[in-house]
Amino acid sequence: MREAWRFSALCLVLEVALATGVRAQQEVAPDDVQTLADAIDHFIVARWDENGIQPATLANDEEFLRRVYLDVAGKIPTVSEARKFLDDSAPNKRRALVDRLVDGPAYVRHFTNVWRKTLLPEAENSFQVRFLVPGFEAWLTKQLAEKIPYDRMVRDLLTAPRDRQQLFNNVGQADPAPGAFFEAKEQKPENLGAATARLFLGLRVECAQCHDHPFGHWKREDFWRNAAFFSASEARAEQGAFDALREAFDRAELDIPGTEQVVEARYLDGAVPEWRFRVAPRQLLADWITSPDNPYFARAAVNRLWAWFFGTGLVDPPDDFDDHNPPSHPELLDKLARQLAAHDFDLRFVIRAITASRAYQLKSTLTHPSQEDPRVFARMSPRGLSGEQLFDSLTLATGHREPPGNRNQYDFYSNSPRKEFLTRFADQAEGPTQWQTSILQALTLMNGRLTTDATTVDRSEVLVAVAECPLLDTKGRIETLYLAALSRRPRPDETERLAAYVDSGGPHHNAPTALADVFWALLNSSEFLFNH
Amino acid sequence: MFTSHISRRDFVRLSAAGVVGGSMSGWLEGLAAQTALHPARRRSCILLWMSGGPSQFETFDPKPDHENGGPVKAIETSVPGIRVSEYMPRVARCMDEMAIVRSMSTKEGDHTRATYMMRTGYLPQGPVHYPTLGSLVSKKLGLGDAELPNFVSIAPFKAISPGAFDAGFLGPRYAPLDVGQGQFPGGPPAQDDAARQLQVDNLGRPGDVTGEQFDARLALLGDLERDFSGANPGVPPQSHQAAYEQAVRMMRGDARTAFQLDMEPPALRDAYGRNGFGQGCLLARRLIERGVPFVEVSLNSVAGNQFFGWDTHISNFESVKRLTEVLDPAWATLMSDLKARGLLDSTLIVWMGEFGRTPRINGNQGRDHYPAAWTSVLAGGGIRGGQVVGRTGADGMRVEEHPIAVADLLSTICLSLGIDPLEQNMSNVGRPIRIVSPDAKPIRELLA
Repeated sequence: MREAWRFSALCLVLEVALATGVRAQQEVAPDDVQTLADAIDHFIVARWDENGIQPATLANDEEFLRRVYLDVAGKIPTVSEARKFLDDSAPNKRRALVDRLVDGPAYVRHFTNVWRKTLLPEAENSFQVRFLVPGFEAWLTKQLAEKIPYDRMVRDLLTAPRDRQQLFNNVGQADPAPGAFFEAKEQKPENLGAATARLFLGLRVECAQCHDHPFGHWKREDFWRNAAFFSASEARAEQGAFDALREAFDRAELDIPGTEQVVEARYLDGAVPEWRFRVAPRQLLADWITSPDNPYFARAAVNRLWAWFFGTGLVDPPDDFDDHNPPSHPELLDKLARQLAAHDFDLRFVIRAITASRAYQLKSTLTHPSQEDPRVFARMSPRGLSGEQLFDSLTLATGHREPPGNRNQYDFYSNSPRKEFLTRFADQAEGPTQWQTSILQALTLMNGRLTTDATTVDRSEVLVAVAECPLLDTKGRIETLYLAALSRRPRPDETERLAAYVDSGGPHHNAPTALADVFWALLNSSEFLFNH
Repeated sequence: MFTSHISRRDFVRLSAAGVVGGSMSGWLEGLAAQTALHPARRRSCILLWMSGGPSQFETFDPKPDHENGGPVKAIETSVPGIRVSEYMPRVARCMDEMAIVRSMSTKEGDHTRATYMMRTGYLPQGPVHYPTLGSLVSKKLGLGDAELPNFVSIAPFKAISPGAFDAGFLGPRYAPLDVGQGQFPGGPPAQDDAARQLQVDNLGRPGDVTGEQFDARLALLGDLERDFSGANPGVPPQSHQAAYEQAVRMMRGDARTAFQLDMEPPALRDAYGRNGFGQGCLLARRLIERGVPFVEVSLNSVAGNQFFGWDTHISNFESVKRLTEVLDPAWATLMSDLKARGLLDSTLIVWMGEFGRTPRINGNQGRDHYPAAWTSVLAGGGIRGGQVVGRTGADGMRVEEHPIAVADLLSTICLSLGIDPLEQNMSNVGRPIRIVSPDAKPIRELLA
């Protein structure tokens, strides 16, 4: 009996000891995310000190919340998510929020859009490529949902089947199919070589397509040697079918158009591939590109992430690594790249570190002229939202429900509100810190259906709920609308000003209508329409 | 004032975008007081865009003596020696003001790529988003503080080549104001609906919002903007302000009356043709009259044809006849109407599609895509009319004289509008790109 008791007591002690041990271990284990975040700030602050820059102050919880939701989840938080975060007193809640978001479905959806636009920009221009978008997005979603490391994702993309017939059979089925990448580049070796160098290495070799690069970096021959990895001959198909592509195995050669010259595939660093029996040349290229030893691959990836989270790359434009376009913080770029490789190319790790840094968490308020240059990262630059971010945020704020099955904007025949909206709010070439608004966009936001439904008392669920909730007084109603649209509580002067307006009932002497006016103004404000 | 917080680099960008300048003070308040400026008249351009690729044989390069010419006859025009298809009787009478380019010789036979090429001057190329002609021209000819936008696109059918219809790297500031949607085959607008469809989306206040209430909303918005944009300067909030100011100006100003076609005499509306394209041409004239420098009108479909625009692979002859029954009166009326108002001398009219049609008539009495030898037309201001440029052979297969490439035509358009085609714009890939490729050879004999 006694033995039994002692035994179980012992077990208990042991268990406690074990548990403490694990916990202690967790505490002493280096926090990689924080370490990298600190490293980011070390390099950023060093530049501030060198140049006498006075950075902006740290963003408050409300500003951080909205920014990180838009950047990681692609939309603003709901009212209840906002309340929960703002009222949470845990000291590590910013980190905890990001940890939750990068593992959530909204992250997958948002980065499916982001990667699709990056890898398949041709869909904006080409009717034919648009048909392949659903299959490509399904593939991206699968990669992101299964947390496939970035290097493997790129390898899988570059070695995907180039079977055109199969690809076009998939139109309307949307099975995961990365082959759209090749079709978007028209299956041409020169396009594929240039696109892979730009997308995955940040190198613009296309200037050397027709002549040697004026700054001497790339020779015309380099361009075609790189392209030769994708060389394939067309086998004429039977009538009604797509021409099949026959790729050479073992080695790859290409004629330089307009010349007699034939070149053999060679990596951009000049190394000669070790051809292997029955291994496709682009397989070797994919291995070389994604190798942890490739100095460009990880750098280009972290730089792209940086540009997505700050609006400006460490190298900017983000896909133009060149001696004549040096990074603003070279050591930081190298550090991030090494850390990405050390963490098995898990982009979410770098995202967690970036968002934990002070640099990312600065206010967008400009308080000192030394913060003006976006490349010193001394304040957050206001950024435009993609059409998807804006639409998804608007629908969230207003309670609009999109009919199911209408998500694919490239469905030729459907004319869903989302599709119309995305067409009108297409991405801009200049990048989000240079975003411009068109007249039609302004008219859509002021008078369009989405806004009108959301700001008409008897048609808006959100407005009805807020206007009729017996638990809320005028100030409470205004606060709820602020949380819905701006993810923050109004300042006292705002509350006072707007409560007076709502209580007076506005021009119509009707309080719910006046509340609708307030909501309309919030939804049309820069603070709602931009990430800041 | 927050101008002092903007860096020089931003300021240069903003001024280039026309954001800065005059609009920095008084967010939205002063709008009602502002009146439209009446600028000295500058040149303007109307592009008649023939979606799908119009047949040269049944329009401006008839071959009645060759089997490739099919059954359609040629008729005399107002200029002795120049003959056009019998389908174009009214336009034929305007020949003094028109120059036919019969030697278009291009390389793209695919709708998407050819449309992109003809409308931007460049082939789709990697990451560069080339601007469409209207954006390029209106950037040069437009006035920053006009009540109406500087580029209006009437009934564009964009789906065939989406990138060919927007401002590309010039950005939304130079994007067209789209009016009406291009109709997909099978659904041309019913006659009565044509004018109603030619409206700017969302230009009116939503149904039950009164003018007073809208003003109250703008005042609330003004407060929010002052607080936020003042403290958080940057291109996006600045451009937001500029676009909202312009949009509100349009909503309130009498620029809106430009779209009210029922203010025109019914007989004139009949003359243009009571269909989408005819009424679109009438709207184009009303816009040009109000100082809009670039208007394009797309002809995408007509009643009775079951396919996209001029893509006459089947029953070419009946189909083109139906198309020209819409085109001919609309275009001829546009010319005479502009002339009567003293606007034709300053207005260039361009007629083109993405390519021509095959000389050989296929088994379905149709014509297929043919970029090697086809026709476009320039008319009106800046053009020396009454002439033909280039020549195709008797069978229409080849250009025999003075081949004209895309860039050649576009540079001629620029020069006739007083624009230097070699001027550069900064592109999204960080290098400057000329309006038209520098190897262009303008058609000098066309320039007045």
